[in-house]
Amino acid sequence: MAFREVNAKMIEATVVPGQRLFSQRGAMLAYKGDVSFTPDIQGGQGGVMSMIGRRVANEATPLMTVEGSGTVLFGHGGHHIQVIHLTGDTLYVEADRLLAFEGTLQQGTMFMGSQGGVMGLVRGQVTGQGLFTTTLTGRGAVAVMAHGGVFEVPITPQRPVHVDPQAYVAHHGDVRNKLSTALGWRDMVGRGSGEAFQLELSGSGAVYVQASEEKL
Amino acid sequence: MFRLQGSKVLAVDMTGDAVKAKNGSMVAYDGQMAFKKLTGGGEGLRGMVTRRLTGEQMTVMEVRGHGTCWFADRASEINLVDLQGDKLYVESSNLLATDAGLRTGTTFTGLRGTSQGNGLFTTTVEGHGQAAIMSDGPAVVLRVSAQYPLTVDPGAYVAHRGNLRQSFQSGVTFRTFLGEGGGEAFQIRFEGDGLVYVQPSERNTIAGDV
Repeated sequence: MAFREVNAKMIEATVVPGQRLFSQRGAMLAYKGDVSFTPDIQGGQGGVMSMIGRRVANEATPLMTVEGSGTVLFGHGGHHIQVIHLTGDTLYVEADRLLAFEGTLQQGTMFMGSQGGVMGLVRGQVTGQGLFTTTLTGRGAVAVMAHGGVFEVPITPQRPVHVDPQAYVAHHGDVRNKLSTALGWRDMVGRGSGEAFQLELSGSGAVYVQASEEKL
Repeated sequence: MFRLQGSKVLAVDMTGDAVKAKNGSMVAYDGQMAFKKLTGGGEGLRGMVTRRLTGEQMTVMEVRGHGTCWFADRASEINLVDLQGDKLYVESSNLLATDAGLRTGTTFTGLRGTSQGNGLFTTTVEGHGQAAIMSDGPAVVLRVSAQYPLTVDPGAYVAHRGNLRQSFQSGVTFRTFLGEGGGEAFQIRFEGDGLVYVQPSERNTIAGDV
């Protein structure tokens, strides 16, 4: 596989000729072999129109293309890293959480309003995702950053999962999400339990949750 | 039923029962859950007044439902404590969750509390059940017995349980006043029989400055 976890905060990527990797700019820690790093003005794949799309959507994380042959160590800011293997389904993740991903994956941008309309937009604001989020589709590996350890919660049609919006990292699969509110009179008088907003994920897939309620 | 998922996430399997947890510490759940803030830590009016007066305030919520609920707080390491009728002393800021059947209260700590930078009072948990406490870095559990008393840096102390007497010990010498202190001017000494939880990190205390 392209990514190997060295420890909880560092991964080793194997680069072979003809297979590109994308990584967050400046996330390289060390490399062996003959590897070149090209800053990617377009911020990913898909030509100039995609680039404009990402700029407009504010999902334009500075990326670089990694090519050549050798091994590269990636890490960033002491954050925990989770490697997710995709087998044909779509991963939804915030662009600034992306550490590295294989070039075989198709990168895209999704409008939050396309899932749930206005509530989708509200959800984006509450989770700090904004109006847009990044999608990765296809077969390959993705390295995602999180504060504290990450754990995976499977979602099955019988068991929807609720996640604290601040602890949400990413999700994949055929999942519908909506923001559920548990607002009561207690919240109105400042006596809330601190869990008024929850992200409800239903369908089949998995959600990744971090052990912290802090942003990156 | 409390279990650890990794070292930083607490998973609680519930079948209609309840747990008390730090406000806002839920990160995910499946099944049906209801969250309710417990005013005054669920200790009634008297407990509420005591907590206000002592500055040991904690905002606690009651979680009740069917399914699994996951708790975590700022990526702190979590330690499970099984209580069988004995008493756990822990700072309210280090307490993540307890079984609803456990009683919580406040107790006077004296000089030790001040040296820890946590005030004069601490939280107690007693009864039969499980509690989860947080530490900055993985905590070590040190046993204290009659022959082996233990001395702990106030900034690294997390919690203790058992039949322990604590005393405050000062290593202040003339060097401390000259500004040449070793940064270990105060310590807490535990004697008796019990366990002390110590974290590999030190809070900012007065003792660390002199």
